Amino acid sequence: MNRLKAIADGQTIESVIHQEVLARETVVSIRDFSLFYNRKQALYNISMPIVKGMVTALVGPSGCGKSTLLRSVNRMNDLIESVRIEGDMLLNGESIFAPSVDVIQLRKRMGMVFQKPNPFPMSIFENVVYPLRIDGQRDKRVLMQVCEQSLRGAALWEEVKDRLYESGLSLSGGQQQRLCIARAIASDPEVLLLDEPCSALDPIATGKIEDLIDRLRGEYSILIVTHNMQQASRISDHTAFMYLGRLVEMAETSTIFTRPTLSETEDYVTGRFG
Amino acid sequence: MIGPNSKRSAQAQIAAQGEPMVWLSGGMFAIACLMILSLLAFVLWQGLWTLWPRNYSIYTRNDGSLVGGELYSKHFQDGQNKLYLRVGNYDVSNRHFAYVSSLELADQTPWADPDLWLVERKEWGNLYGFPKELSWTKTTQDHFADQVTQGMRETAKIDRQLAQAKNELKRIDGDIAEARLSIRRVELAEKVDLQRAVESGSVEGLSPAARRAIGQLADRNRRADDAMVQINERIAELEAKRSERSVLFELPIAQELGTLTAPWSELSAGVVGDVQAFAKLIGVESNASSPAISVEPVGKELLLCKVAVEDQSIRRFWIRRLGETTCSVSGLQEHTILLADVVRFFPTNRLGLFQRLGVYAGRWWEFLSGAPREAGMEGGFFPAIWGTVVMTIIMSMAVMPFGVLAALYMREYAKRGWLLSLIRISINNLAGVPSIVYGVFGLSFFCYIVGGYIDGGPKKAGFEPWPSAVWFSALGLLALVSLAAFAVAVLSGQAEARRSPLRSMLRWAGGLLWLATLVGIVWLLIKSPHFQGFYQAQLPNPTFGKGCLLWAALTLALLTLPVVIVATEEALSAVPNSLREGSYACGAGQWQTIHRIVLPYARPGIITGFILAMARGAGEVAPMMLVGAIPLATDLPLDGEFPFLHGSRSFMHLGFQIYSLGFQSQNSEAAKPMVYTATLLLLAIVTLLNQTAIWLRANLRKRFQSSQF
Ligand SMILES: Nc1ncnc2c1ncn2[C@@H]1O[C@H](COP(=O)(O)OP(=O)(O)OP(=O)(O)O)[C@@H](O)[C@H]1O
Ligand SMILES: [Mg+2]
Repeated sequence: MNRLKAIADGQTIESVIHQEVLARETVVSIRDFSLFYNRKQALYNISMPIVKGMVTALVGPSGCGKSTLLRSVNRMNDLIESVRIEGDMLLNGESIFAPSVDVIQLRKRMGMVFQKPNPFPMSIFENVVYPLRIDGQRDKRVLMQVCEQSLRGAALWEEVKDRLYESGLSLSGGQQQRLCIARAIASDPEVLLLDEPCSALDPIATGKIEDLIDRLRGEYSILIVTHNMQQASRISDHTAFMYLGRLVEMAETSTIFTRPTLSETEDYVTGRFG
Repeated sequence: MIGPNSKRSAQAQIAAQGEPMVWLSGGMFAIACLMILSLLAFVLWQGLWTLWPRNYSIYTRNDGSLVGGELYSKHFQDGQNKLYLRVGNYDVSNRHFAYVSSLELADQTPWADPDLWLVERKEWGNLYGFPKELSWTKTTQDHFADQVTQGMRETAKIDRQLAQAKNELKRIDGDIAEARLSIRRVELAEKVDLQRAVESGSVEGLSPAARRAIGQLADRNRRADDAMVQINERIAELEAKRSERSVLFELPIAQELGTLTAPWSELSAGVVGDVQAFAKLIGVESNASSPAISVEPVGKELLLCKVAVEDQSIRRFWIRRLGETTCSVSGLQEHTILLADVVRFFPTNRLGLFQRLGVYAGRWWEFLSGAPREAGMEGGFFPAIWGTVVMTIIMSMAVMPFGVLAALYMREYAKRGWLLSLIRISINNLAGVPSIVYGVFGLSFFCYIVGGYIDGGPKKAGFEPWPSAVWFSALGLLALVSLAAFAVAVLSGQAEARRSPLRSMLRWAGGLLWLATLVGIVWLLIKSPHFQGFYQAQLPNPTFGKGCLLWAALTLALLTLPVVIVATEEALSAVPNSLREGSYACGAGQWQTIHRIVLPYARPGIITGFILAMARGAGEVAPMMLVGAIPLATDLPLDGEFPFLHGSRSFMHLGFQIYSLGFQSQNSEAAKPMVYTATLLLLAIVTLLNQTAIWLRANLRKRFQSSQF
């Protein structure tokens, strides 16, 4: 427990990142990244890789900065005026935060799914093809093809194929969340960012989405925030444990859950924490 | 134990149960409901009741005089019933309405004669009387209705021809006025005085344009002279034909003829003893077949006597008791009206329920679709309804783009800070500014400055133009500034996607440059030495430099702007941020997010604001008085005449009509019933608008309803 106490006391600690993670090919590498809301620092010098084609889970107690980190990857935090950052992230070796980066182009290379499903007030079809629409795609054939492909990818096609032109809001919560996932993968992104995608869902819907993540593995690099340790152990390849804005330990999921280096991590993932 | 006698104090007990609060709040609720309901009931009752055809009843006063009328209202005051009677026959009695106290009346039950007819006329209001004679045909009363209906059809034809002829006159006048205008334009353009040339007809040494204009005027004058003679002849002919047909009525207004000696008991039993004396008194020849006299009592001391004279028409007389054996005899005043003046006529005391409903419906139809008569006290409100609707529509078309875009900027683009809060508070306060202030502003800014500018250029609007050279150099400067503004806009558009310190600097610079451009354009406009106005030739008659439809609509647009901004802002802030974030996460830009997600989602709220503004605007009266509404307009602001929408015309407005009828007309007491009806109409229009809003919003909402889980 002494490390976490040290963090709480404001001391700097070394993140433990296992060699097995560092050895892999990364898609996003976070470099000494800090983030401030006004004066208040939310992230402290985080450095970690997100491995290409694999699922990385972010775990940690509430308020530790998981969402903040996730939202930094596609620069959603730009929308908040008070945010200031230090450090950088690299997407396939290119800087994300350099002044010359076009945020809009950057975001198009990432798909994001939020904690609460947020389908747009338009038809299911329009919801899915929204990223293409804003790119000015008008060709009905292309749109239809992408729509079907994405909905199949999100395991929703069979349920909605007969009602594509009904409102996206007419779906159930679980279906809405899968619709959002379909929307996120419609533009064929390199990275998928999922912020507690199952927190508002029942076990069956959660199961479906976990299956979905499992199938998307390999095709996409996925960064997922979750509070559910079982979920993290079931679906992720790597797990990062954060605490009060700092990365504490990161390793392959099996390592984290069976024999982590730090006893604090073990306490947290086994639920003995706090 | 837990029960009423536990340790809690009685006070705490009551507070805990909250029973008194239920009663208090419930009572207040009931009072509020009652007030609203009574307002509605009052307007509804008064408004609906006004047009209903009532019985015309004749009352006897203590002094024996008679007073007749339709009973409009009756209220108890100072121990007596006050009757409000529509006495009509204005051309004879000089009043439309009269108050009668029940204490004055000898007999509380009035007499409603079944033979009495009500005639609604184009002038002088209602006439109540007994038809006696038609000038164009000799018939008895039996065919009166048919004869009059037929006659009216023919006079209507004459009236149509007359209107046509008058229109033609108007057109000729218009042509000549136009020709004069073109001469005036030439005068202004060439800075010459053509007055002499016009008078003398000699055009030597004048420019071709001047010659053409003078020639045109002379030509039109010549042709007008010929045509005018013809038309005037035709009009005179038609007028003569129109006044050919008239109807003679006996009005229920007594004219004393003399006294008669006869026992009252006999008379009231219907027996006239001394027929000779009676016949002499009433001026009817009595011969072998003495006049057929019938007498019926209509009050305790009053008899109505009908005498059939030779030509079988019936004459009526009143016999009033003076003593046991003496009584006074009165005839009825005779009055002739033109058939062409008749609008509607019916035997008001004899109508069954359905006939009454028919008359009622007919009056409503006229009220909604007809033009006003008698300075608005009679007839229809169509021009007022039309004016209100047209003005409101123009107003909303003006206010919506401004309001929605302003709210969009404030909610979506502007940086949050004290300046924005200050502006928001000001806008909210603006919604509470008394509307007459807007009226004053509209009059002095729109009518006099902008209108004056349009009419006669900067000088007319009160600005001193710059010399030409100064103006052109200023124009060059403005061109540079606007070019710079444009360049900065393009640059900052490119910088938008990036996070750079340059961006905010460019934004500031761009904003300032745009502002400078805008101010510059306005300044150059008002300082221009080269603009003399579009309607200079019409001066000193103002075209736009007075109250008119356009300025009224713009004034109201300004007045409702806060409503629209506040409603739109509310609608925008009700858009969940998660939707915006979802859109940005898909790689959408700000405008794409606004246009594809935010605006559609906020649409119901924006439309609500729109309708609220419309309802507010439609009911606003105070500023209308200053910027263009008039009590009686001859032309509609939107009609079939090119260019269809006449922004420079004054117009009639329902709200203003209520005010001017009820409080400004010469006979406002008489106009009161109409005021209630107009109020009801205004209420109905506003309710209709609000109802549309609610329906529209509900329909749009359906599309956005989420079935969570
Ligand atoms: N917009 C913001 N402005 C200021 N502070 C913020 C803002 N968003 C988050 N924070 C702060 O940043 C810290 C991290 O928040 P974050 O939402 O990243 O936590 P989290 O790990 O996602 O928590 P949870 O598991 O509850 O979602 C918190 O202390 C929070 O109060
Ligand atoms: Mg979170």
